[in-house]
Amino acid sequence: MLQTQTLDAFQVVADPSRRAMLHLLSKESLSINALAENFDMSRPAVSKHIKILSMAGFITIEDVGRERHCTLKQDGFNELQKWIDYYDTFWHSKLSKLESILNSKLNNKTKKSKNK
Amino acid sequence: MNKTIKHTFTFKQPAKEVWQYLTQADLMAEWLMKTDFKPVVGHKFMFWSRAVPDLNFDGNIYCEVLEIEPLKKLVYSWKSGAMDGKINFESVVTWTLNAKGKGTELVLAHNGFKEHTHDVLYNAMNKGWESNITKIINTLNATA
Repeated sequence: MLQTQTLDAFQVVADPSRRAMLHLLSKESLSINALAENFDMSRPAVSKHIKILSMAGFITIEDVGRERHCTLKQDGFNELQKWIDYYDTFWHSKLSKLESILNSKLNNKTKKSKNK
Repeated sequence: MNKTIKHTFTFKQPAKEVWQYLTQADLMAEWLMKTDFKPVVGHKFMFWSRAVPDLNFDGNIYCEVLEIEPLKKLVYSWKSGAMDGKINFESVVTWTLNAKGKGTELVLAHNGFKEHTHDVLYNAMNKGWESNITKIINTLNATA
């Protein structure tokens, strides 16, 4: 999973631990060590989640002295929004098309029965 | 934006006729997309549409029929491909048909999440990023 360039933003935030990390980071930027203290999991497991969040554009990681600091980033959230907006418009336009097809069928039937 | 991807349309036709447009590949192509859909649970099928490079979407949609209740409900998975051919969006599409007089109410729901957090997320994002990021995460977290 770490090898892929683009990660599914929805899957990234579907994980409760990653949401908890975003929650903590929404209050303040934290070093990976400080972040890890809040979780009952191994340091490599925390690092893996951090890497996934970073690759999906939800956070940035910066070196500050000897620490690595995590800060929230808007890109990941924008990605979610983009997909939702796209599909929302997509379905509305498709269903409008279905509506016009069904309506025109109805009108044709009415015309035919009037002609009889 | 809407809280969730959900659309409700009401047609004058009975459910049987609307159902045909949801389940017959030739009729689906008329309004939705070209497809090799078959109304069989477990059937894997595709939709082919135009690529959307901005979304890193190659236009291919990979689906599997998950649930069928004839004339009432149809559920399929909906995974879309990235420009490099990999899957980058996994979701579920649910169609529900309800009788309304002689006609039919058709409800579409498209959920991007595998778990039940989507409504909360849509809700949170709806309030805007700039001023509400803390609230967004809090809301998400409260339901985790």
